[in-house]
Amino acid sequence: MSALGAVFVREARLAWAGGGGAAGPAAFFLAAITLAPLAIGPAPDLLAAIGPGIMGFAALLSVLQSADRLFGDDHGDGTAELYLLSGVTPSWLVLAKVMGQAAATLWPLPVIGLVGALMYGVPVAPAAVGALASLAAIPALSLIAGFAGALAAGIRRSGLLIALIATPMMVPVLIFAAGAGRAAFEGDERALANLLLTLAVSLGATALAPFGIAAALRSRLA
Amino acid sequence: MLSYFSNPQRFDQLARILIPIFGALALVLFGVGVWLAFFNSPPDYQQGETIRIMYVHVPAAYMAMALYAALAVASFVYFVWRHALADTAAEVIAPIGAAFTILALFTGSLWGKPMWGTWWEWDARMTSVLVLLLVYLGYMALRAALDDAQQAARTGAILAMAGILNLVIVKFSVDWWSSLHQPASVIRLDGPTIHSSQLWPLAIMALAYTCLAGWLILYRLRSQALRRRVRALQRRRDHVARQREEAVS
Repeated sequence: MSALGAVFVREARLAWAGGGGAAGPAAFFLAAITLAPLAIGPAPDLLAAIGPGIMGFAALLSVLQSADRLFGDDHGDGTAELYLLSGVTPSWLVLAKVMGQAAATLWPLPVIGLVGALMYGVPVAPAAVGALASLAAIPALSLIAGFAGALAAGIRRSGLLIALIATPMMVPVLIFAAGAGRAAFEGDERALANLLLTLAVSLGATALAPFGIAAALRSRLA
Repeated sequence: MLSYFSNPQRFDQLARILIPIFGALALVLFGVGVWLAFFNSPPDYQQGETIRIMYVHVPAAYMAMALYAALAVASFVYFVWRHALADTAAEVIAPIGAAFTILALFTGSLWGKPMWGTWWEWDARMTSVLVLLLVYLGYMALRAALDDAQQAARTGAILAMAGILNLVIVKFSVDWWSSLHQPASVIRLDGPTIHSSQLWPLAIMALAYTCLAGWLILYRLRSQALRRRVRALQRRRDHVARQREEAVS
């Protein structure tokens, strides 16, 4: 397990050293939720109604924003080969890697999502449910971004390609996570069901995605 | 059988027989199907003449999904047995499937305007098909971005297989999503049964689409195989020319 711990810590430290750590996704998220009302208009009722959805949508975009860094650098400098030669089970290793980056960079998203929802006029309880749902969605979102990132590792300007590959895969988790906040706002009892489904997708992704990411990584070194 | 026909020469012989058969079948079936669908079937008692869009639309939607299944199966065969032909099949199926998906979305939109009063309705099925189009586009973009043929083949196979799992979950989640806000005014086609006067043209059109897709895929497969052979021959010619130059100098 110590090798996995080292990968986890390395990834977290790399994110802070090279990429500004949590600042990048947080700033991007803030910019996205600032722009949305400017495009839609300041009507309070409308903003409160769409607030939970915008938070989920903006969180998804923020996760995509840094997806090319995760495997792109490792593919370029040969670290990926060393990972596969290290003897550590590749699926465990990539899971530690993805979670290391997610833990270091994505933790502000639920917090900003909570504050953002309140700024949109969403009441406290549904805003909190939405924030909780986005926390539950982070494992699934970052693993899907990791899968797309591993498939497109090392391709020049891979950001767009990763977004195109990852978007259809993020459909379910977006529906459930944003749906939790939306249902809570509308007083629908399905808020809890949505929250649990978000968790289910995250757990399913944690169980399956590491194999996909490891296979993708290997396929790119063939 | 799989490995028997993965031999390029045997495949070429088979394709040479099958291509004209599929082409002729498609032509005949389209002739009969279009005639039945547009001139020799009754208008619907509810939808009137616009029901005729169904004969173009439903088979396109069916092909869009069937071809993705074929793409995933070809990818699986390539991933497990490494038959180059299976990879080429996946490569040529993708754009054809995407074209049928666009056709399904487009004709669905044309049908939706007179029936539902809107070009686009965010209902579960239309949204799923739109996601399917994105999946096709992502697959094609990934393959196009990878220069190395073997990397493109393996990486594409992994994405296509993950895609089928994803599409199943998308289908469920989108059904769930649209059930939160079910529009009440939508008139739906799917009554309990479809009358035989409509079923026949629909079935023939579906067969015609299938034959068309089979024809397109086999045709493209064969030309891709030929292209590979031309490239190999060119490489050999260049190699021989270089050796001669070296021998002279």
